[in-house]
Amino acid sequence: MFKTKSGDEFFVIDGHLHLWDASPENQANKYGAGFISCFYDYHRNLSPPDYVWEQSLFEKYGPERMLKDVFIDGYVDMGIFQPTYLKDFYKNGFNTTEQNSWLKVRYPERWILNGSWDPRDGEAGLEYLESLVHRFGIRGVKLYTAEWKGNSRGWKLTDPWAMRYLEKCQQLGVKNIHVHKGPTIWPLNRDAFDVADIDEVATAFTDLNFIVEHCGLPRLEDFCWIATQERNVYGGLAVVMPFIHSRPRYFAEVLANLLWWVGADKLLFASDYAIWHPRWIVEKFMAFELPDDIQKEFGVSFTLDVKKKILGENAARIYGIDINVRKKELAGDAVAAMR
Amino acid sequence: MRSDEVYGQLARVYDPELDQPLTELGFVGGVSIDGSVVTVRFRLPTFWCAANFAFMMAADIRERVSELPWVERVDVQLLDHFFDEEISSGVNCGKSFVETFPSLATDDLDELRETFRVKAFVARQERLLRSLLALGWTENAILGVRIGDLPRLPLGSEGLALVDRYLAILKERRLADNVTAPAFVHPDGRPIDPPELRAHLSRAQRTRLSVEFNAAFCRGLLKTRYEEADSLCRGALAGPPFPGTPSGEVVE
Repeated sequence: MFKTKSGDEFFVIDGHLHLWDASPENQANKYGAGFISCFYDYHRNLSPPDYVWEQSLFEKYGPERMLKDVFIDGYVDMGIFQPTYLKDFYKNGFNTTEQNSWLKVRYPERWILNGSWDPRDGEAGLEYLESLVHRFGIRGVKLYTAEWKGNSRGWKLTDPWAMRYLEKCQQLGVKNIHVHKGPTIWPLNRDAFDVADIDEVATAFTDLNFIVEHCGLPRLEDFCWIATQERNVYGGLAVVMPFIHSRPRYFAEVLANLLWWVGADKLLFASDYAIWHPRWIVEKFMAFELPDDIQKEFGVSFTLDVKKKILGENAARIYGIDINVRKKELAGDAVAAMR
Repeated sequence: MRSDEVYGQLARVYDPELDQPLTELGFVGGVSIDGSVVTVRFRLPTFWCAANFAFMMAADIRERVSELPWVERVDVQLLDHFFDEEISSGVNCGKSFVETFPSLATDDLDELRETFRVKAFVARQERLLRSLLALGWTENAILGVRIGDLPRLPLGSEGLALVDRYLAILKERRLADNVTAPAFVHPDGRPIDPPELRAHLSRAQRTRLSVEFNAAFCRGLLKTRYEEADSLCRGALAGPPFPGTPSGEVVE
């Protein structure tokens, strides 16, 4: 919860959190090492100096540390786990639903635990998806289209098997599809960051919500266009947020575009922890004002109401959470007692 | 110096996504020259930068450096990348993208390259249009500018640098041959109608912003990734003379 000086309360749902194990013991090859060192450079490059960790801590920080950073120090009331399996790079996987469930089981009201699927797993993967719904009651999935699997270097949402998985999501009530683009895809000669496949599936599956992580960056222009056309396309602000500190002018320009094209009701706050700590991001976000010239050019304003929506209300709506009810439940839980 | 000639050629190689020269981005990690053989080491902001763009840059390095009359062989070495060996050896053997990745690619990169040249065109044009609008130019006045007028626009040095960049890409797309033709056109040469200029600019603004945001991210990541190594290297250069190969020069 973030409280302003005048006592106004902001319920915070962090829309993109990880509990990963990228320790050298778990790395399967140079790709696993390369993956976490890339994340570590993101972390070092865009965090304020006080928030920069040692590499060994960054590789494996564990559930207790996460709990403290996110809920005790980070203003966050609830968090959404977005798993990224990467089983070709890490022996036990990088950040799986099962790993994340450790915290979900112990602090159930604090977490929205998402699953994941990969269309290249065929029938077996459909069964796995069903088992995730039965075991954990998942309402959302995180998809990473650049994941390597055997000889494959990625996939598209419009692949026939992906369409079957989306149908299955619809049947099972897994409504929220978080999509993350990465550097590889099949075929390799295509632009891996292209978001056109999201447009197609958003039209085909109007009962599902498609949350495009990091707002389609670096293809912001295409994402804005798609989000205007499709009422079920949302923007996840992971990776966009930390620019608020290092490049506030770019942040302002991107935010103004998102507010105008995507809308204040369809943007979800996210820290991408442990890449960035939610504490400084929430503080800077609350203090941020759009420069006058940008407000004028885009005709958008960044009011406290808009901040409230982005920080928590939008995620609460698509995950069916009543904030007032949940606030009361959280007030008496084990995490509240630690504060 | 031959190394200056090599760097001069490398300054003409652009990151296709960011539309900036490799030399300005800090992507050139070193050049060594041994007689007529030039080795260019190049590096990217992350281990995971897209392979297709990395390949384009590697191929362009080879092509540009090969244009120097005294160069007989160019050895391109992509460093610290998930496909570093595949891309370096593919390019050094003169293979195309699809030949380098027969099971992962269905075609070469011409289409992707054109997509990003169009974005570069739009972004370069947007910056220039914006600087004219900021000086109070009307839409009609802007659309009345001819190709031949571009170098004479009443702009400061920053604005004229934008003109140079825009003219270069007009020439590349063969849109600058007729000096009396309109200067501000769509990437395929179609004129922009006055009523559509505002919408055109708004779209172009998002393209320019995406490219710049990405470039800022990439520059920062490259700095984080290689800063330590570079400062060590500069330290070495500031000390005793850097040892070169007997027959040539080494420039880091």
